[in-house]
Parts: sequence; structure tokens; C-alpha cells
Amino acid sequence: MLITRLVYIFMPTAVIMAFCYAPAAAVLGETSRLLYFHVPLAWISVMAFAVSGVAAMLFLADKKSRFTYMEDSFHNSASLGTLTAVLATASGSVWAKLMWGSYWNWDPRQTSIVILLLIYSAYFSLRSALEGKPARGRLSAAYLIIAMTAMPFFVFVVPRVFPSLHPDPVINPDMKIHLEIEMKLTLLISVVAFSLLYFYLLEILNRLSRIRNAVEVQHHE
Amino acid sequence: MLNAILSNIVKDFRIEFRRRFAVNIALSFAAITTLAVSLTAGGVRLGSQTQAMLFWIILFFSAMNGLAHVFTREEEEGTALFLRVTSPAAAVYTAKLAFNIAVIFIIAAVISPLYVFFLNVDLVAPSAFAAAVCAGSLAIASSATVLAAIVARAGGRGSLFTIISFPVVLPPLWVAVGATRASISGSASTEGVIFLLAFSGALVAVSYMLFGHIWIEE
Repeated sequence: MLITRLVYIFMPTAVIMAFCYAPAAAVLGETSRLLYFHVPLAWISVMAFAVSGVAAMLFLADKKSRFTYMEDSFHNSASLGTLTAVLATASGSVWAKLMWGSYWNWDPRQTSIVILLLIYSAYFSLRSALEGKPARGRLSAAYLIIAMTAMPFFVFVVPRVFPSLHPDPVINPDMKIHLEIEMKLTLLISVVAFSLLYFYLLEILNRLSRIRNAVEVQHHE
Repeated sequence: MLNAILSNIVKDFRIEFRRRFAVNIALSFAAITTLAVSLTAGGVRLGSQTQAMLFWIILFFSAMNGLAHVFTREEEEGTALFLRVTSPAAAVYTAKLAFNIAVIFIIAAVISPLYVFFLNVDLVAPSAFAAAVCAGSLAIASSATVLAAIVARAGGRGSLFTIISFPVVLPPLWVAVGATRASISGSASTEGVIFLLAFSGALVAVSYMLFGHIWIEE
């Protein structure tokens, strides 16, 4: 598969570039190399949420039962999103301790990822409460769509509630990455590599779900 | 459709008027927590931010006790199936939303004077405070109604309702706290109220589209 080959090319390239090619940032020093792992993980946690939402919409809009597998897709994407959100929070906290002196500062981005984790946690709580019920797929899909509707409002509110500590080079009002060219390139490769990894893992999880469903059908027969 | 909505609203209000379960529980909870906050504060004068924050925490958790009841009652009493057969999903949703808006407005109308009285709140802009409370309550009811339907289908677990509601209700809660603080300290603006109304509109529109999938049995 093409995506598998691309992951095997891009992931080692991203790791090598992060440690050998990109220079250490002027003020942040060697800790700046966390950027190439922390930012892609945070990006994937949000992308996984968007993918879950879109898959949930397709699942609910599907009147002819053509996309029944979408239930597994949005659930698997939410699982990956949770994992990456936890990893992004952990890597961000370590970096915050090194740079700002404490693990947690209620910076807008920290707050946003906590909210994302709360949504994922609520989704999994709902899903476990619906275990064994035929409406589980529809109800959990509906919840994801409702949570996705509330998301743009967070983007508006959170920066007004909490002042930002995140550095200007990556997150700034003019929406440009103010980094040296080597750092910018490494970050770009890293984001692409992690995005490919996400789709690769999602495909594996979807295949596992299909196998499990087929085994369950055979078992019932 | 209009007749179905009206008959459902009348039915819900009649049942609530006879039993007064949702409103009684929510109001008792609100009164207890308001008194608890006042007693534990020990007469200390709180800042406008703390006052606004505590007010919305009390209102949110009191509302959580009452808002889910409108759907869990139908599932517990076995009337949900009958309702599915006799009324269109849109009519059921509209009626339940209207009922929940009324419930949270009653709770807010009781909590607000109690809170102002017991916490010694000096309201500089009472009309801005009323607007913030109304718009915030509307936003909570708009998001909680559809979530109450989901929780009722999941078996009506009370704590699950709070867990799944909190992340969705957080943006209006933040804005409502800000707007309430501004009304207490006298620097009121309409931005917060507009945000809350826009949030309510978006959630009601999405809920309206999703409700059929949540409510109808396959």
C-alpha cells in the first residue's frame, strides 16, 4: 500500500531531521526539538476529531446502509485522537515546565486540548453506557456532531478567557510560521509524517474492526 | 405539526404541574447550594469574578438535575414508545426544548434574587445581569435538551448527563460568567449576550437535524 511506504519514508526522515538537520532555537536551545513532535501530535488530535465528526455525519446520513463501516471509523479515529491528545498534553507539559517553570499554566492551547480530552472522555463514557444497545452507533455519532458544533465557539472564547504564553514564531495573529528555513522544513515534514502515520494506524484499526465484525457474524451463525 | 407541538407542551407542563419533580428537585438543590456558598463564605464580600463564577456553577448543576428529567421520565414510565408513534420527532423535540427553557428560566428566576440577597451582590447594571442570565440559561437549555435525549436512550444515568453536557456547555458558561461579572462591576457589553444567542441558535439547528436519529427506534 502507498500509505505504508510513505510512512516508512517520512517517519524516519522526520526523526532524523528533528535531531540532526534542524538547528537548536536561539532562546529555547535543545528543548526546541520537542516542537517537531509536540506540534504534529496536537495537530493530529484535532484532525482525528474532525475526521470522527465527518465520519459520524456520513454514518448518520447513510440511508441505504452503504457506510455502515463508518461507525468503526469514527470510533477508531476518536481512539487515535485521544491517544495523540494525551501525548501532546504530556509533551507540552514537559516543555512548559522547562520554559515557563510549571507543568500547567492554563494557556489557551493547553485549555483547548483539555476541552478536547473532555469531549473524548465524554464520548467514551457515553459509548460504554450504550454497550450492547442497537442505537449505540447513531447516538455516539450524534454526540460527536454536537460536540463538533460547539468547537468553533471554543476557538472564539478560549483566547479571550486565558492569555497566551505560546511563542509567537508558531502561533501568531498573522497565521505565519516565523522560523528559520531548516526548522520550518523539519516541522512541515514532521506534520506530514505524523499525519500519514495517523491514516496508516486508522486503516489498521479499521481492518481489525472489520475482522472482528466478520468473526462475530460467523460466531452467531 | 403545530397542534402536535402544543399538545406535547401542554402534556409536559401538566405532568410537571401535578408532580413538580424536575422543578422541585432543581430548586431545592439550588437553594441548598446557594445557602451553602453563603454560609461557607461566612459573610466575606466576594469579588465580582468569584460571584459570577459561583452563580453559574450553582445554576449549571441545579439545571443538570432538572433538564434531563424531561426525557428520562418518558423512558422510565414506558411512554416513550407511545410518544414515538403518536408525535413527529420534530414536534417532540420542540416541545421538550420549550419545557426545558421554561424550567431553567424558573430556576434562574429563583436563584438570582436568592443569590443577590445571600451573597450581598451589588448589581451595578441589573438589566445587563438579567440579559446575561436569560441568554446563558437559553444556551444551557438549548444544548442540554438534545443531550438529555441521548442520555435517556442510554438508560438515564444522572452522572452521565453531567459528563457529556459539560464539554458542550463550557463555551456559553465561560461567556455567561464574563457577561455576569461585567454586569456586577458595571462594564456591561452586548457581545457576550450575542454570543450566547448565536450558540443557542447553532445548537438548536443541529439538534433539530439530529433529533430524528436519536429519537426514532430502528
